Amino acid sequence: MNLDYNEEQIMLREQIQKFCESEYDFYKREEVIKSDKHFDVEVWKLFADQGWLSMPFSEESGGLGFGPIELSILFEEFGKALVIEPYLATVVLSGTLLDKSTYAEKIDLIDKISSGDMHISLGYAEADKGYDYLSPSTSLDSDNILNGTKTLVLNGSNAKKLIISCMKNNEFNLIILDSDTDGVSINSFLTVDGQSCSEISFENVVVNDVNIVASGDEAINLLNETINLAVLCVSAEAVGCMESCYFKTLEYTKGREQFGQPISNFQVLQHRMVDMFIESELAKSLLIKAMLEVNDNSEDMYRHVSALKSYIGKSGKLSAKEAVQLHGGMGVSEEMMIGHYLKKMISIDALFGNADYHLKKFAS
Amino acid sequence: MDINFSKEDIAFRQEVKDWLANDYPKHVKEKTDNGIALTKQDMIDFHKALSKKGWMGYNWPVEYGGTGWSSTQLYIFNKEFGLAGCPPLLAFGVSMVAPVIWTFGNDEQKNRFLPDILEFNTWWCQGYSEPGSGSDLASLKTKAVRDGDNYIVNGSKTWTTLAQNADWIFCLVRTDNSGIKQEGISFLLIDMKTPGIEVKPIITIDGEHEVNSVFFTDVKVPVENLVGEEGKGWTYAKFLLAHERFGIAGLGASLRSLNRLKNIISKLNNPDLERKANELEVSLSAIEITELRLLSALENGGHPGAESSILKIKGTEMQQNLSELFVEAAGEYALMYPGPHGYGSNDKPSGPDYAAEGLSSFLNLRKTSIYGGSNEIQKNILAKFVLGV
Repeated sequence: MNLDYNEEQIMLREQIQKFCESEYDFYKREEVIKSDKHFDVEVWKLFADQGWLSMPFSEESGGLGFGPIELSILFEEFGKALVIEPYLATVVLSGTLLDKSTYAEKIDLIDKISSGDMHISLGYAEADKGYDYLSPSTSLDSDNILNGTKTLVLNGSNAKKLIISCMKNNEFNLIILDSDTDGVSINSFLTVDGQSCSEISFENVVVNDVNIVASGDEAINLLNETINLAVLCVSAEAVGCMESCYFKTLEYTKGREQFGQPISNFQVLQHRMVDMFIESELAKSLLIKAMLEVNDNSEDMYRHVSALKSYIGKSGKLSAKEAVQLHGGMGVSEEMMIGHYLKKMISIDALFGNADYHLKKFAS
Repeated sequence: MDINFSKEDIAFRQEVKDWLANDYPKHVKEKTDNGIALTKQDMIDFHKALSKKGWMGYNWPVEYGGTGWSSTQLYIFNKEFGLAGCPPLLAFGVSMVAPVIWTFGNDEQKNRFLPDILEFNTWWCQGYSEPGSGSDLASLKTKAVRDGDNYIVNGSKTWTTLAQNADWIFCLVRTDNSGIKQEGISFLLIDMKTPGIEVKPIITIDGEHEVNSVFFTDVKVPVENLVGEEGKGWTYAKFLLAHERFGIAGLGASLRSLNRLKNIISKLNNPDLERKANELEVSLSAIEITELRLLSALENGGHPGAESSILKIKGTEMQQNLSELFVEAAGEYALMYPGPHGYGSNDKPSGPDYAAEGLSSFLNLRKTSIYGGSNEIQKNILAKFVLGV
């Protein structure tokens, strides 16, 4: 047994850390969120140049062939820096889904994602369906006319193409189409943690046969695997947030003096920070187990990813709330980074099923 | 033992309910019912309506134009206003600075300031916390130096709630550095229009502009604006905090919130959420009855001092937990947050109405366990004065 990261993985982490610490500025991020695209085009280009945008894609598709372990490292570090760029939407949700599919034009699309030239978004969720993604009301009729509405489409406003789940003759399908096709209307919002997110409706949109990415069981498996990988990624991001919450709070309390001494001297605060540290370590343990299971594509992988998601949903939110409380007024101040971890944790818990949902999924 | 209200108290409750049904300004009600932020004018209208009814001095003695209500009446008033979804009454003038003025101020100050507070002609804010003095308030550094008939004030205050709307600020300032830190603090009333005062917004994580930094540069304050004696400000501040803590549990608002939450959850067929709501209901009941016990002690001549810290701690935790359950009930839609100013040019996204409102409250209410003496400080108070350790 060896639960250490290998040299290549450590180097990757250091490379990402170096970028986040030297190039990724929190105050600039706030400006970027308010900009038209809601992400930094220059940073995205840099991701492409570093090869990060092609990281999880198979070598046959022109990618680096890295797996869930490397993705987890990336997302952990992204979590610490609160990286806002739409890696999850374009690379994980859309890119890895295409990579694993048998869709004829996938090589070209993956190439465009890897070079940073194209954004693709996945429309998997619908209003009133909750976390059930396999019985969409969006439908494709026998003449290949698409009707329906997708909600919570991450980065939908920047997507050139959309991958959409729908039913055709009672069969589950994943189709792909240009976002500027006639009959597609996109309404965009910001999420609580500053991501761009859209509600997209399709009104009598004509879909050609070639636009079908996968059908039936193949499509179901593709979506399940993709969402599972995305859950792993956002959970890793949460683990990064938890570590930062603990670390930044420790630093803050060491520097904040009240009653003639640093408030880190007070035992009651020490114990609360120790609890934050412990929770962050336990979450890391569940992350390691989950990413190894996904890496092995094991039968149990869904169960272990659910265990992780359920754990970080609860303890991650708790850590972030404690971080805010121990920062006092500074914790609720928008210009301080610490409160934004709380928003990120709310967002992560809500995405792809919250703590209660995954606890049930784990137990079933 | 009898846990029921007297006939008189029940009649009083009806009077409060009637006012809320008939005279609570409709345009304010419409906004609060729909989770829309109130403007300065809305807040003024609300308080003026209260003043018209003669209820502005809800915790004042009759001799200064107050209601002279008993603690039980005050409790009923607070609870019914919370249940009706009214915005919290602005405490800074009526229940913070006013008791200090009528207790420690001179007749000229009483005549000058109290009538305007009662009619809500002046909006007050509180200059207590400083960047380096939060929980350790007595370490404050804003300096007031005597210069003839004036004090010259220099320094800064922070987390000043709604200073952008305020006409006056009551400040704790340091007039002496020689003794222990609690001595040498004075209580000064300052006109916000005085040259040298600058108000800078602090935006909080819910996106709102509610609090501010207030900077003082060579601000000239007439000596007649000193309340009580120079150097006794800390005593007045502690007196004031005791007034602030009453009603801080926010019981009525939490009950309203719980009822709405239960209504939402009843339609979701989600046993996890139902269990959590039930747990909160039991806790809220415990808080309510604890408040009644304190009230009963007060009415029967007791002096429940430090125990009111229980209400601050558990009341604020309850507000936070309720708002968090709203967020959980919204499921995936908790993601979509329009910020305090609504959806702008976009249509509202799909998902339940309460999603954005719940998140807004969740983020906003983080402050409640930090302000008014943080919950950690409240626990110190309980440990020291109740547990005696």
